[in-house]
Amino acid sequence: MSPSHRVLLEPSVVLHHRPYRDTSVILELFTRSHGRVGAIARGVRTEKSKWAGALQSFRPLLISWSGRGELVNVNAVEDDGAALFLSGVALTCGFYVNELLLRLLERNDSHSDLFQIYWNTVTRLGQGDEPDITLRIFERHLLQELGYGLQLDRCADRGVPIEPDVRYSYEIERGPVAYNENSYGVSVLGSTLLSLARNELKNETARRESKRLMRAVLGHYLGDKPLHSRELMQRSSALITKAS
Amino acid sequence: MSAATLIEQLIEALRCLPGVGPKSARRVAFHLLERDRHGARRLAEALLSAVEGVHHCQSCRTLSESPVCALCANPQRNREQLCIVETPVDAQAIERATNYRGLYFVLMGRLSPLDGIGPSDIGLDQLEKRLTAEPIQEIILATNPTVEGEATAHYINELVRPRNIKVTRIAHGVPLGGELEYVDSSTLSHAFSGRREL
Ligand SMILES: [Zn+2]
Repeated sequence: MSPSHRVLLEPSVVLHHRPYRDTSVILELFTRSHGRVGAIARGVRTEKSKWAGALQSFRPLLISWSGRGELVNVNAVEDDGAALFLSGVALTCGFYVNELLLRLLERNDSHSDLFQIYWNTVTRLGQGDEPDITLRIFERHLLQELGYGLQLDRCADRGVPIEPDVRYSYEIERGPVAYNENSYGVSVLGSTLLSLARNELKNETARRESKRLMRAVLGHYLGDKPLHSRELMQRSSALITKAS
Repeated sequence: MSAATLIEQLIEALRCLPGVGPKSARRVAFHLLERDRHGARRLAEALLSAVEGVHHCQSCRTLSESPVCALCANPQRNREQLCIVETPVDAQAIERATNYRGLYFVLMGRLSPLDGIGPSDIGLDQLEKRLTAEPIQEIILATNPTVEGEATAHYINELVRPRNIKVTRIAHGVPLGGELEYVDSSTLSHAFSGRREL
């Protein structure tokens, strides 16, 4: 699908921005109807620019643009509600969510459900909800949206329902199979798979195991290049542990 | 293809200047060669001496001709306060606008997780060494009010927390002389949430 020539007031969020030349920025946007869009906003890095402060991540924006191809031209920016002030751990997690989208979404592939899920996710992060639950739910939706949805309710080899007290090997692109220690799959308890399916992750085991599972599955699609924001998350949490 | 002529080499070299495209590079090159050869020679000499003689201050990381810059070496400065800024220009702005008498630490950037710019790229190892070696009592975080500036401030706060040092962050809000109606909604809500008791 090629982007239309002129788009008006499209609900958008900035995933990443980098300075370009003296006064412009190159943006990676996540938009409701056009998915990930590359854009250039000219002349915004000046004192007089009224959008200078607006083109920040985690702000709901309405953006109008024109053009086609790799980089469209931003014509207008408006606020679409109050910005979310993420700080501390929530902010680092927000960067992680943005980086996942940058790495896994193709430009100009529409994902309007995911756009809503994105906002729910950053809103929850901003409210101080447990990041280990919020992020797992986001990752599960993201995989589903990309067509790599996890199989969480039935055994992939025998087709029988998952039993909470049974241990499985989760094989990527296949699903959970009867546990066997020679399997390359990720070892998980049935209860972890079931609580991930219900977006609950109430207990510590479910959180720990689903984190490892998601990391393996996402790693499969992300390839060898490490996620920068994950490194920062790890360094920050090491600092916090040291301080407390 | 023949090797680039001297003029072409000059035009190409001028394009390293920020915001200078091929057209303006050509204009500048012809101006220097036709109208201002004396200026061109001075520019070339000044550039060369600056590149050879200017380095980073060993203490605050700003650009300096001596191993330690004049501000860091000044015995009149308060050695118990350290203001952390993103760029040398930010430090200069604070010097001009306030009567701050403490020292600075210049990050020469900010944490930018999605660009792979991490804590060691902005000199935080060096900052920790200073905190251990010097009698610093207060850290003033003056990073920009952007998401990256916020992430940087938070990280430094966590880094400093185990030490018995007070950490403050400069206030962000409505510009003086500005009318609320015209202030963008994000600045306004930031200012509102950071309100103070009178
Ligand atoms: Zn210095």
